[in-house]
Amino acid sequence: MIKLFKYLKPYQLFIGLALFFLLVELGVELVQPLLMAKIIDEGIMQKDLSVVVFWGSIMMGMALFSFLGGIVNSFAASHVAQSFGYDVRKRLFEKVQAFSFSNLNKFAASSLITRLTNDVTMIQSTVFMGLRIMLRAPQMVIGGVVMALFVHVQLALILVIMIPVLVFFLVWMMKRAMRLFKGVQERLDQVNGVIRENLMGTRVIKVFLRKDHEVKRFAAASDELKEKTTASLRFIETTMPVLMLIMNGGILFIIWLGSEYISTGDIQVGEVVAIVNYAMRITTSLSILSWLMTVVARAKASADRVNDIVDTEIDLLDAKETGHIGGEYEGKIQFDSVSFRYPGSEALVLKNLSFTAEARETVAIMGATGAGKTSLFQLIPRLFDIESGYIYLDDEELTHIPLHTLRKQIGYVPQEAVLFSGSIRDNIAWGKEEASIEEIMLAAKHAQIHETIMQLPKQYETTLGQKGINLSGGQKQRLSIARALVRNPKILLLDDSTSALDLKTEGKLLHALKKGYSCTTLIITQKISTAMEADKILLLDEGELVAIGTYAQLAETNALYQKIIQSQFGKEGLRFEAKS
Amino acid sequence: MRPKAKMKKPENWFPTVKRIWGYLREREKGIVFVLLMVIVSSMLGLLGPYLVGVAIDEYIVTKDESGLLLLLCSLLGVYVFYSLSTWLQNYWMIGIAQHTVYRMRSDLFYQFQLLPISFFDKRKHGELMSRVTNDMENVSSTLNSSVIQIFSSVLTLVGTIGVMLWLSPLLTLLTLTIVPLMFYGMKWITNRTGKLFKEQQSSIGELNGFIEETISGQRIVKTFSQEEKVIGEFLERSERYKRSSFWAQSYSGLIPKLMNLLNNLSFTIIAAIGGYLALKGVVSIGVIVIFTEYSRQFTRPLNELANQFNTLLSAIAGAERVFEVLDEREEAQDEKEASVLRHVTGKVEFEQVSFSYEKEGHNTIKDVSFHANPGETIALVGPTGAGKTTIINLLSRFYEVQNGRIMVDGQDISNVTRASLRSHMGFVLQDSFLFQGTIRENIRFGRLEASDAEVVEAAKLANAHSFIMKLPDQYDTVLQQDDSGISQGQRQLLSIARAILANPTILILDEATSNIDTITEVKIQEALEHLMEGRTSFVIAHRLNTIQQADQILVLEKGRIIEKGSHRELLEVKGFYYELYHSQLKGDKIG
Repeated sequence: MIKLFKYLKPYQLFIGLALFFLLVELGVELVQPLLMAKIIDEGIMQKDLSVVVFWGSIMMGMALFSFLGGIVNSFAASHVAQSFGYDVRKRLFEKVQAFSFSNLNKFAASSLITRLTNDVTMIQSTVFMGLRIMLRAPQMVIGGVVMALFVHVQLALILVIMIPVLVFFLVWMMKRAMRLFKGVQERLDQVNGVIRENLMGTRVIKVFLRKDHEVKRFAAASDELKEKTTASLRFIETTMPVLMLIMNGGILFIIWLGSEYISTGDIQVGEVVAIVNYAMRITTSLSILSWLMTVVARAKASADRVNDIVDTEIDLLDAKETGHIGGEYEGKIQFDSVSFRYPGSEALVLKNLSFTAEARETVAIMGATGAGKTSLFQLIPRLFDIESGYIYLDDEELTHIPLHTLRKQIGYVPQEAVLFSGSIRDNIAWGKEEASIEEIMLAAKHAQIHETIMQLPKQYETTLGQKGINLSGGQKQRLSIARALVRNPKILLLDDSTSALDLKTEGKLLHALKKGYSCTTLIITQKISTAMEADKILLLDEGELVAIGTYAQLAETNALYQKIIQSQFGKEGLRFEAKS
Repeated sequence: MRPKAKMKKPENWFPTVKRIWGYLREREKGIVFVLLMVIVSSMLGLLGPYLVGVAIDEYIVTKDESGLLLLLCSLLGVYVFYSLSTWLQNYWMIGIAQHTVYRMRSDLFYQFQLLPISFFDKRKHGELMSRVTNDMENVSSTLNSSVIQIFSSVLTLVGTIGVMLWLSPLLTLLTLTIVPLMFYGMKWITNRTGKLFKEQQSSIGELNGFIEETISGQRIVKTFSQEEKVIGEFLERSERYKRSSFWAQSYSGLIPKLMNLLNNLSFTIIAAIGGYLALKGVVSIGVIVIFTEYSRQFTRPLNELANQFNTLLSAIAGAERVFEVLDEREEAQDEKEASVLRHVTGKVEFEQVSFSYEKEGHNTIKDVSFHANPGETIALVGPTGAGKTTIINLLSRFYEVQNGRIMVDGQDISNVTRASLRSHMGFVLQDSFLFQGTIRENIRFGRLEASDAEVVEAAKLANAHSFIMKLPDQYDTVLQQDDSGISQGQRQLLSIARAILANPTILILDEATSNIDTITEVKIQEALEHLMEGRTSFVIAHRLNTIQQADQILVLEKGRIIEKGSHRELLEVKGFYYELYHSQLKGDKIG
């Protein structure tokens, strides 16, 4: 939590300003009972009107001054809090952008989002409150006691004894309450989990007629939530009554003792009144204090979560030397005895893999799930670092090429099409900033989506995403491909990106790729029909390269491959090939 | 000031309040009790300072000791009962509030089960979740405390003014001079903050939306090396938020300062002018003391009411959104006359069926007619968007046909209950959708009464048994929501096992085999063969193998069936299907 304070440093001036006026406000509040005591003792009791008028005007003036100061305080505090929030958010976001893939794997996306939004907001509003009111409550408590002591020591001692006891009580209550609320959060997560599942699986639930089952499940979770929440809230609610009772008892004691002292002439009426006043203000402050403690506790939790991100070490560093000569790449990829495992995991995902994809070749990569195909792809733009071996782009080691340059050469189309909200044009242009509309349309044509786009009401300006239209799976894939193509990449990586396309469209796409782009294309696919178009096929099994060759070669020699053909085409498929 | 959650204004609050009251009424007696306690505690809250003032006047100034002691004891009694009644009122109210929220939540969830699929397809999950969580939260916290606060604030206010008037009308008048000041001040501030908060909400909505989208697609950002661009866009939105928030917060922060000023002013007025009056013997010192305390007791409820008012509005808006869902038309509302579909052999007929998702515009499917005999496999083939999924949606009555009719075993399915129709169907969808729970529980979802042996049998037929046995906990392995531990292909196998267990007469397979690797696919193909045996199956597939073996192929394009027949028959026609088939085997070159 303290670590984040350094972000407050640039605003020291405003913080000082805000705190100064906070003290002014406090000072005015603390002095008022004193002044009133003066009015009572020196004015009323002595029947001296001028005293009343004099101190009355002073009080009025102070009230106004305090107000003006309060305005300054409000604006200064707001400025500090907002700028602080902005800085922290910026730092966090930049950090996340710098995260490598393995860094990203450590945090769930939803968790990152919550940290960037809710947690930062929580800390920011705590700073805001801190500068405006938070400090007042404890200051009031301390200040009140001090002033009371100043008025009459013995009477004030009652306060001095009671208050630490009360504060201790408050802290104890808060700690227990925190634990209780954690339990409530967990129950709430449970309830939300059931709801989320139900929303996602509506069809399945309806079709399997599981309505009653789900309702029961929900009732159980909801019931637990109710019980826990009720118990926690009831616990918290006891704080105030107990606090009030103790404080009020103290006030009674003060009055009684005060009366004793008055009869001995040790103290005046006005002074007793002043101390009673202070006691009442301290009571209010204590209750505010208890509320503040919850706020601080929550802010601390958020601060921890924010620090988690700031403290993460990035584990993929850019190429240090730029012994790299600029210029055009051809797109030849070579893997030399590459072994790779994901950070933190035991098993090797790729074992001693070696192959070469010549520039402008089309290479199909096939194999069972978990065979290592997507992992292979992720190594090419250096999203992860390998354990042993070398990867070369145009005979240059990947680690020697600056990441930005490397990734600029690559167009990656992942398995799941991820699009952003914005127009279709924006989405495609995402692949290349400053892409002209002609370039965009060309990419769309090659990706076989141009016609579909032209049929939409707003064509390229149609908005996607939250408020826009939803596209079918196949359409999303093609957009995703267009985005990669607009970059004019030297290397195109298609990870099962044609799974939702029908055969005809896929055929046209592959054809367009061959004709329109002089790039090295690596395509992960399950379909034999796609693989047939490739110059060579890589067959992976459990991270190892099992076979490499053309379709014809593999069909003849590799048993596994034959089995695959059979499963997709039946016996006819084999027969067909034998003919050609 | 606590940072405000989304401030929504309700459309018409009265009916909503009535409905909430309807829920609260279930605990009518409790509410009456709470109200009583609020009255008691408010009275006692007023009595305290009053007695303190009396103590000063009657006993301290006059130095009457025994009388003082008596008064202090009664004061103690007042304080004790005050704390007690406060505690009781909250204790009870919390129970009532939580019960009400529990009931509303349950009703909402139950309603989700009854609503048609079209409702869910049209909305984002995040938005619906927000209603069940955020909006309910608002209602919950309001019921918990705000209701009491408002009541007690009003009571305290009325009581305070009452006593003040009784003690000294003059001083009361003086104290009340600050009220118009407060009104104008608040109005001036809230006029500004209203607009500013709206702006703030919209800018943070944008910022958060951007963050959510970017982080979700972070891998793409990295792969395309667009970090700089994304950071730039982020800072733009963050800047906008900072600006709007600065103004909104600064102005709203003035409210407590205003309250402070008014507090101080009234204190001053009472001390000075009250002092003057005391000098003249018009009022006593004790009265001044009481007034100083009461004036604080007076501004606080006013401030509270202002705060609570906003919270209340927000809660009512939230409740409104919840009730909106409760008022939606349920799926089964048209089933009053419906009969139950009993034993089914699996004969399915579509007669001139037309349907469209949009109100106007071209039909998604038009004049679709075909029939399937019991046990046949029908393959649906065609480009994306041709209408294949729509046909499935209509058959399962997730949507209703607009023209024509669908018959199962000769009965129009729009005349039978959906539940009975679906009890004869089984699904293996593209998204296998497994729940958080053990593998065994997930498979058993197909038929809850199935025995463990039957579950294993189904898993074997689905070719899932072997990989399940390889897992550390085997059938007791717990599946998490976001795929972990098992692959996509394995999830499909589990969803096939689930369908096998359900033992349906009609089977629907929606693009189930396209995301799977070839090895697992062989397993799946076998499993599907077991599954489809003897059942009428509708398959949306791309694999030539599946299509070839189907009894009937329906070729769809732009919502119409353009070709119909078996594989051999369609090849002879040399039409669309023939082209499709050959383009797959030989690339573009035909011949």
